[in-house]
Amino acid sequence: MKTLIIGELVNTKLSSGTLEIISKAKELHLDFSVLIVGNSEASNIGSDDFQSTYLKSSPNKLNLSSCSNEIKQIIEENEIKLVLSNSSYIGRDIIAFLSVDFKTSPVSNVNNFLLNNNEITTINSINGGESEYMSLLKSEINFLLIRPKSFDQADISLNDNFKTKDITENDNSLEVFEIHIEEKSGPQLEESNIVISAGRGMVDVGNLSLIEELASKLNAAIGGTRAIVDAGWMPYSNQVGQTGKTVKPDVYIACGISGATQHQVGMKDSKYIIAINKDEEAPIFQIADLGIIGDTLSVIPKLIENL
Amino acid sequence: MKIAVCAKQIPDPANPIEYSSGNVVRPEEQVLDDTDRYGIEVALLLKEKFDAEVTVISMTNVGTEKGIQQALQMGPDKALILEDESLVGSNSLMTSNVLSELAKRVDADIVIFGTESTDGYSGVVPQQVSRILNVPCISYVKNIEIDNDVTLTRQTIEGSEKVKLPEKCVISVTASGVEPRYPNFKDIMAAKNKDVEIISKNDINFEIEQNMNFIEIKDIATNKQGEKITDEGEAYQLIIDKLKEIKAV
Repeated sequence: MKTLIIGELVNTKLSSGTLEIISKAKELHLDFSVLIVGNSEASNIGSDDFQSTYLKSSPNKLNLSSCSNEIKQIIEENEIKLVLSNSSYIGRDIIAFLSVDFKTSPVSNVNNFLLNNNEITTINSINGGESEYMSLLKSEINFLLIRPKSFDQADISLNDNFKTKDITENDNSLEVFEIHIEEKSGPQLEESNIVISAGRGMVDVGNLSLIEELASKLNAAIGGTRAIVDAGWMPYSNQVGQTGKTVKPDVYIACGISGATQHQVGMKDSKYIIAINKDEEAPIFQIADLGIIGDTLSVIPKLIENL
Repeated sequence: MKIAVCAKQIPDPANPIEYSSGNVVRPEEQVLDDTDRYGIEVALLLKEKFDAEVTVISMTNVGTEKGIQQALQMGPDKALILEDESLVGSNSLMTSNVLSELAKRVDADIVIFGTESTDGYSGVVPQQVSRILNVPCISYVKNIEIDNDVTLTRQTIEGSEKVKLPEKCVISVTASGVEPRYPNFKDIMAAKNKDVEIISKNDINFEIEQNMNFIEIKDIATNKQGEKITDEGEAYQLIIDKLKEIKAV
């Protein structure tokens, strides 16, 4: 099946989500090529194994509409039947635009897909991962938005064997200013082996210093629930869950988190889950390997002291 | 300036979502999706700045329209909703087709959304509407500054960036950055007298079809039967022992 992967850059490199999709495409022996969307310098985003093209915009333009026009043309010229992208900010915008052009609804939040005699079945995780929702796609061309961490990242040999195509602005482009790159210090959420997350049970924003101290002892990344991100205790980029990031660390420590569906979707596949919560009935305990019924504010200081 | 702001009615999120033949079961009484309150707040801030007319637009099944009232209580001027049972279970493109038609009908310059609904989570409808209307799309807005002109801050994968509000566009607003207002008693009473126009699918151009066949919903065992103990002051030791056992420390 002729497949197009829409990839993106993080700090001049292919995003981990892009590499996960390429790994899956190789595993399924799909006839695929890769289009990378970005606006910075890029290196090591090509390969001798597949065709790679960099669609390069200016950092001073919000240009995804123009970029999608270019992708539309490439899809038509190459008779593409399947388009795969990460469910990321850029991925969602581009796939949404293309879905209008090709008059076919995309499938969002895909966790897995199967190919059978040129028929595609998609699998979505619903009810906080307690159920799988399966659909058979029947369009001529299908667009899939894939949740990060759905597939393992295989070894892919990358080099500078890629073409670059400059994207110019169109009527729907906008001028961008004050570009802010969030400073990333310490282990990153998606990559860290240990993640410590905070929820409402931390009671007060001041108590997050405990989480920071524990994280630094364990060399862990810090996450949070939607509730505390909305309350402004933590930046949006630290949110774990349906509307935030998906993590799959070796150890996930949930501190004062009840475990709403929205949160579980982003962390339930962690290898070992430790939950500390006062409420014995909290749903988080159903997915925890080790559940501590107790006050997270009294457990964490002792952990810090004794580690 | 005319603004259309989208409001989705969803089953009370306090209860788990139920499905029938792959579609979310929609009771007669649904509530306003909290995610939409952020978009409505942005619409009202623009209304105050530009004296704009704000219309709530929505696609829904037949029901009490409680969620639409909740949206109007915050301060929009009126509502235009498309009520049609045949659209239950619409895919994202059918939804964006309907909402684009509603936005055209109220002659909207600016169309505002939340980023994704709490029951469907497709997260692509605002962008689709911008493509259909052929206007710029400013997605994932997390802050708005209003002085001589309007500056919107967008979330990006690496941080954020700012753009100025153009004359025509679609905006999607994330759940942070603005604080949705709470209606007082006067607002609640006033909403009851606001104009709510209800139309049906036959009143608009509609051509998109379903492109997915629902196969099944399969439950997967998630109850891990993990160890669960009550902390009596020593639970930290158990955590440390486990971390050592799995070689995390």
